[in-house]
Amino acid sequence: MDTSNQAAFISRIRSALGHTPDRQRPANGLFSGRSASEIGRILERIKNRTDTEKKQLLGRLIEMAEPINLNVIVLKDPPSVAAAIADLIRDKDSEWGSQKSVAAWKHPMIESLDLPAALADQNVPVHITELKENDTAETSREKERKRVRKHVVDSYIGVTSADYCMAETASLVIRTRPGQARSVSLVPSIHIAVIHADQIIADLKELYALIQWDPEASAEGLTNCMTFISGPSKTADVEATMVHGAHGPREVYVYVMTD
Amino acid sequence: MSEITTADYIAEAKKALNNPVLQSALADLQNRFGRGTALAYRNLPEGPDLRLKAHDIRSKTIENLDVVLETLVANIRKNGGQVFFANDAEAAVDYCLATARRHNVKLAVKGKSMVSEEIGLNSALIGAGIEVTETDLGEYIIQLAGERPSHIIAPAIHKSRKDIGNLFADKIRIPYTDNPPSLTRAARKALREKFLAAGIGFSGCNIACAETGHIVTVSNEGNIRMSTTMPKVHVAIMGMERVAALLEDHDILLRLLCRGAAAQNMGTYVSYIGGPRYLQQVDGPDEFHLVILDNGRSRILADEEFREMLYCIRCAACLNVCPVYGKIGGHSYGHPYSGPVGAVVMPLLAGVNRFKDLCQGETLCGACQDACPVNIDIPRLLLALRAKLADGDAGWQVSRASITEKGVYTLWSWIVQNRRLYDFFLRLAALGQSFLPKNKDMLRWLPPPMSGWTRGRDIQPVAGKSFMDRWRSGDMD
Repeated sequence: MDTSNQAAFISRIRSALGHTPDRQRPANGLFSGRSASEIGRILERIKNRTDTEKKQLLGRLIEMAEPINLNVIVLKDPPSVAAAIADLIRDKDSEWGSQKSVAAWKHPMIESLDLPAALADQNVPVHITELKENDTAETSREKERKRVRKHVVDSYIGVTSADYCMAETASLVIRTRPGQARSVSLVPSIHIAVIHADQIIADLKELYALIQWDPEASAEGLTNCMTFISGPSKTADVEATMVHGAHGPREVYVYVMTD
Repeated sequence: MSEITTADYIAEAKKALNNPVLQSALADLQNRFGRGTALAYRNLPEGPDLRLKAHDIRSKTIENLDVVLETLVANIRKNGGQVFFANDAEAAVDYCLATARRHNVKLAVKGKSMVSEEIGLNSALIGAGIEVTETDLGEYIIQLAGERPSHIIAPAIHKSRKDIGNLFADKIRIPYTDNPPSLTRAARKALREKFLAAGIGFSGCNIACAETGHIVTVSNEGNIRMSTTMPKVHVAIMGMERVAALLEDHDILLRLLCRGAAAQNMGTYVSYIGGPRYLQQVDGPDEFHLVILDNGRSRILADEEFREMLYCIRCAACLNVCPVYGKIGGHSYGHPYSGPVGAVVMPLLAGVNRFKDLCQGETLCGACQDACPVNIDIPRLLLALRAKLADGDAGWQVSRASITEKGVYTLWSWIVQNRRLYDFFLRLAALGQSFLPKNKDMLRWLPPPMSGWTRGRDIQPVAGKSFMDRWRSGDMD
């Protein structure tokens, strides 16, 4: 039974538009957008970028990131990123408590940094936001979720990667997967994202083409939560004065690896 | 519908005009956002004409709203989301309350959502014994103050930093400060506790995507992400028109929305939300509900003259350029939908007669259309509403606003179409005005009912000889 009131509601819209109220209408090309050849061209352009073009794209990202206070740092390889993150953690005090701790995604790129080793001398624990599946009962999953949530809430730095980074708007694009909690890029005071230079794309047009039509990227689609992050959280609600860190992270660092 | 105070339009406008703090805040807001948005449109790779394309996209979507909505909800259900179609505010509120009760919710958090203001969600939740916290900093401020938003994007624009300092000292018991970063930090701390404790999160929807089955929320603060990620249940409420068919439509609409709202290339956080957390995922809500609201919109849809108003994506760009809003502020409009958008939407949603001051108060200067990211012809819609008020309209249950006005204009149109009669009255006026007080060559005072005109200014007298007379006599010097 339709408890959502859909049939009556849609019928009213149909009759408002001058159609027969109770007859479903066909889509009539409403959902056919760009032509296949145009999509092909966009995907080709992304795939076949020359080194010069990639450099330009990185330059554009840095240019667009600056006015929105997004820190973009270009480094060679995982060890140099790990060292940079260790320095950052040494410099920054925690916001809510005295113990510094880090929450990080389960992600190959983050594993390659070996953060626990890089932070060992500072005594800063790194919590991976992964559900340990001892058994698949929902009650034990729920316990695991609570454990991970507590770690994220207590952390002052969250480390994620991203699917893409759009240069034109300086936006990280993050889709949702197991082991990669949404809250890591949101709840800690500082958000660090580690990406590879090849993940930089130009703009929304390229992003939508990829996640809809690229054979690999489109397999997952948008997932149940896709987020763009363009700089740190901000507000201008007190006399239009810009302040960072309204609810989300007050600082965001994107480490771009080039090797 | 939440509490409406539009009957006080004129009194509220007077109050606003005499409030220097508000006047400077409004001027500042319009200077920055009004100009910033115009510049942002010019800097688009496609130029400001992209707005025309957006208008076409909105038009096509609204003309096929039945099919687009069916596709949207089919895809959302496929992803495990639940959908409810609410005919009116009451049905939407009941659904939200039932959902909250089912989960024994004590505390709800809300991202800024105009549609939740429209349905009066807060008072209903409080009435049901559920604490509700606004989480957008501006909305939080006015909720603490017991006031209502005065701007769609900058709800607390009417409050000074001193007001807010006193408010926070009183309500959240922090030592007085009027330093914006300190005030923001205090709210951040207080609201963080709410986000983590809340059992349900409410959000609006900026523009959904039918073909993928996602709603989209945009915020700069991160409060909407918090409200939709941390609580166990997420309920999104959207006006039925807030949807696009294709993801590629979002390329255009999102860029224009962010420019229109805050002259930004992109809001800090844009989230596509398409359903609850999957089994293996770490966080996100257990349940995702989408409430799609009619509440008078299908009536607008049914009238081709007003259908264009449903293209609106509530960015508030029109408020930031409107000379009337810029002087009288949002509260005069008597409802959270203020400015030019409010002056059209409120009469249509809640009664043309009741909201007649709103559409009659605007100037028809057209700045709103130039600022509109989807190029809605707001002046045309305002005029159409005024025509309804002048003549009455049974279909919209509009009664003639002023019989005297109609009588005067009928008489006037009869006189001006009759040359001899017109000349007669001209001569009469030329004769009559010689008895009126003058200031140099100008008339200083007119008798009632025209006395209002000369209260603040003088008026040019009628020429002794009309143009036609001079033409005929060859006296053209």
